[in-house]
This record gives sequence, C-alpha cells and structure tokens, in this order.
Amino acid sequence: MSARGRLFGWGILLVPLAVSVALFVGPLAQLFMISLREPSSTELYGTGWTLANYTQLAEDDFIARIVWRTMWTSFLVLGCALAIGYPVAWRIARMPPRKRSLVLLALLFPLMVSNVVRAYGWVAILGRRGVVNTTLQQAGVIDFPMALLFTPEAVVMGLLTILLPYMVISIANALATLDPRYEEAAASLGAGPIRSFIHVVFPLSAPGVASGALLVFLLTLSAYVTITLLGGPRSKLLVSLVYDSVVAFQWPQAAALAFVLLALALATCGLILAVLRPGRVQGGAR
Amino acid sequence: MSAIPGERAERVGRAITATATVVAFFLVFAPILIVLVTAFSPTEYFVFPPPGLSLRWFEEFFRLDNMRAAFVLSLQVALVSASVAALLGTLAALALARRGGWVAGLLQGLFLAPLVFPTIILGLALLLFYRSVGMPALPGLMLAHAVIGAPYCFRSVYGGLQSLDPALEEAGASLGAGPLRSFFLVTLPLVWPTMLAGWLFAFIVSFGELNTAIFLTGPGTTTLPIEIFSYLQFQGSQLVIAAASALQVAMIVVMVAAIERVVGIGRIVRSR
Repeated sequence: MSARGRLFGWGILLVPLAVSVALFVGPLAQLFMISLREPSSTELYGTGWTLANYTQLAEDDFIARIVWRTMWTSFLVLGCALAIGYPVAWRIARMPPRKRSLVLLALLFPLMVSNVVRAYGWVAILGRRGVVNTTLQQAGVIDFPMALLFTPEAVVMGLLTILLPYMVISIANALATLDPRYEEAAASLGAGPIRSFIHVVFPLSAPGVASGALLVFLLTLSAYVTITLLGGPRSKLLVSLVYDSVVAFQWPQAAALAFVLLALALATCGLILAVLRPGRVQGGAR
Repeated sequence: MSAIPGERAERVGRAITATATVVAFFLVFAPILIVLVTAFSPTEYFVFPPPGLSLRWFEEFFRLDNMRAAFVLSLQVALVSASVAALLGTLAALALARRGGWVAGLLQGLFLAPLVFPTIILGLALLLFYRSVGMPALPGLMLAHAVIGAPYCFRSVYGGLQSLDPALEEAGASLGAGPLRSFFLVTLPLVWPTMLAGWLFAFIVSFGELNTAIFLTGPGTTTLPIEIFSYLQFQGSQLVIAAASALQVAMIVVMVAAIERVVGIGRIVRSR
C-alpha cells in the first residue's frame, strides 16, 4: 500500500475510534470513577473519594442473597441451555446443508424480536388471565387461576426463550465443521458412542460451547426486562438492584452495583473458558 | 454382540435429541406465536380457542396517542441510529480489514465489544455521561443505539472486505486512482450489499432495544419496546399490548425479507 493509502487508512479510523472512546470507553471510565465517589443529594456525585459504595454492598446480607440468587439463576439457565441446546445442535449439524441453513435461520428470527415482546408472550401464556389458566378454568380443572407468573421457573423459561438460539447456533456451527472421520477413527479404535462423544466430539465442539455459554451468561446478567416481567418483585436479581438504585437517584451506589455485576460477569467468563479450554482446538479460539 | 449396546445407545440418543428439539422449539417459538394469535382476538381477554378474528386491538393501538407516538419514535430512532452505525462500522471495517498486528487486533476488539458487553451497564454509563455533559434526550438515545448497532455493521462489512480480492483495488491504484477514487469506484460498489445488511441489522437491533433505552428514554422520547414494558408494568396485560407486539414482529419480518433480498440471509447465520 502506498504511503498515501496508509495515511488514508488510519485517517478514516479516527471517526469510529473517537465515537468509541467518547460513548463507550469514556462513559464506562466515568462510571467507575463515580462508583468511587461519595453520594451527593444535589449533584451526580460528591467531592470526596471513598470505597464505601463497595464496602456497603459487601456488608449487606440482602445484597449477598441477591448475588447468590443471580449466580444460581444464571448457572441454572446456562445448564438448561446447554442440556437442551446441545442435542438440538447435534441434530441440526447432521442435517443436509440446505436444511441446516433453513433451521438455523428459523432460530435466528426470534432473536430479532424484542425481548419485551417475548417476555409478554410468556405473560400471555402464564398470567392470571393467560392461556393456561383460562383454558383450565373453562375445562373445570381449576376454580381459581394458579400463580404461574412471578416465579423463578417463569424467569428461567423466559430467559431460555431468549438464550437458547444463541447456544444452539454456536454449537451447531462448531459441530457442522467437525470432520466425521474423527468419530469413525474413534469407533474403529473400539470406542462406543458415549466414549467417543466424551473424548472426541465434545472436546472438539468446545469452541462453540464456550462462545454459546459466554453469550448466554452475559445476556442473562443484563436481561432486566425479562426478569422483571416474569419474576416480579420477589425474584429480583442483581440487575434489578442496579435499576432500583437509578430510580432512587443513588448514582454512586448504582455505579458500584454495575461494576460488581461486571466483575461477576468477567470472573464467570474466565471460569467458563478455563473449564472448556476452547483454545485447545486448533483454530477454535475466537 | 458389541453392536447391540451401540444400537441401543443410538436409539436413546435419537430419543434425547428429538425430545430436546421439541422442548427447544416450544420455548423459543411459543411466546411469539401466542402474541400473534392473541393480537387478533375479538374479545376483551384472550380465550382459547378464539371465537373469531378482529383488528380491534390494532385500531386501539393507533388510537392511543402514547402507543402511536412510541411507534413513530422507534422508527425515527432506528432509521437515524442504523445510519450512524452503518457509517461508523463501515469506516472502522475499511480501516482495519487488511491490517494485522496487535493494534489492529485491539481496535477490532474495541469495535466488537458492545456486542457482548452487558448493555444495561452501558446504558447506565451513558445516562450519567449525558447528564454530566447536558446531552438532550433524543440525540443521546440515537447515539446509544448507534453504538450498539455499529458492531453488526462492522462485522458485516469486515466480512465482505475479507472476501474481496485486493488485486481489484491495486488495479484501481495502478490505473492512477487515488485512495478516495478507488474507494468510490472499486471498493464501495463491491461491499455496499454488506453495508446495507449491516444497516438493516442495526435497524432491527435498535427497534427492539431495551437495556440502554430503559435509562435513556423519558417523557416524549419513549420507544415502542419501553412503552410496551411500562404499559405491562403499570396498566397490566391488555390485548393492545399484543397488537403492539405483533406490529414489532411484523416490522422485523419486513426487515428480514429486505436482508434476504440484499445479501441472502444464510451468510448472517454462518457469520454468527
């Protein structure tokens, strides 16, 4: 490339880079700074520096319970997504290429529909006047509507609705590129289907599982609307507390909660990568 | 002898994948299907099986000022933010597509980061940043959506440029075209479908976006998803929400059909 061409190349980088710094890196840095400031009743934050926003959270039993519940829910959703998503991806990966693209496309479509619409779908199914309750009442099976909504189960189902497609698409793409000769080799060496799955197929699909798991986990942590509409006030997770602090104008506290959430996300992503080790698979580390 | 346990394992395996597929497709599609069915319900509350079809909830939707305004605002925000996102993503992709090394890698990570970064934290960060610099609500919301949509455009155009033969641009340069001329005469005509696909994707993302909008919308600047959310929270689940949701889905169908016409949507499935 000519010198002029190189200059031009870096020149056009300036605009997106400036926007990225001004509207992504900068505001996050400011948020971190605010999390270390004293609260103020008139301004966004006070003048003094303090760690109290974090230490208060660490000492609060309520917060500890919510953090515990958040992690528990996230791992439950992750486990369900993996347990349901892997067999589906397996099936899709074995389809002929044309049919496979069509099915993956069908799974991509719901991802584009707003989360609030899909959460509302569950409200319409599980709510007091939802399909399940009205149908059962008409049939005379129950006299009063059952409380199906505002339960942890409803939250898990609603989150799976949003997240399963990510898991299935990631794993199916990894499995589809897998050379079937690996399995044949394992079989010819005497490995049964289960052994061959555990020692050959699953490790080779680790990059797809890892990218699916990371997406599922990160999106679970910030799925505020789904959690609120399906979990109600009694199934709050960490992200609900961030929102509540904002509504109460507790800016430094909201900022500290956001960074606790981010730290949990990063730590868990590290854990997922350490367990699945996608880098083992050549060309698989993404 | 050894074939029998293998066969049994295969049968069990098939049963597991079949069950999982039914469960997965139910979980993924049931909420959307029920929304589409209830939206055409003629009754005050949804009864199963529906006694008929009607458009009364769609009429109700357009009669409600809040809903209509939110729909129009969502369209405006999506149009502007997708255009800004397409511009940013394309510029970044052009600058980085043929560059190696750790600086380019780092920048690529930076431009893709909003894809996986918890958007609710970004929303909070932008809310506080906008307050401290006095950013007006509507441009702030549009810029936030542009930041979230830009990675989709970046990825789409970046992929298009990777599959572009550099010899074409070199030919342009060797014939005396400067970088700007060879961009407009050679590169742009070849990558514009990926730009358009990125734009449509950014539009879709903006049109359904919740996590930053929940902090950045306010009176007079409420997007449709947020209007649906607050209606559900404060007025309960009335069927006008089903109509609003069905319109959201219809809009996505139109956009997906557009993507299919422009680039063929199969490419997007594989690039994810």
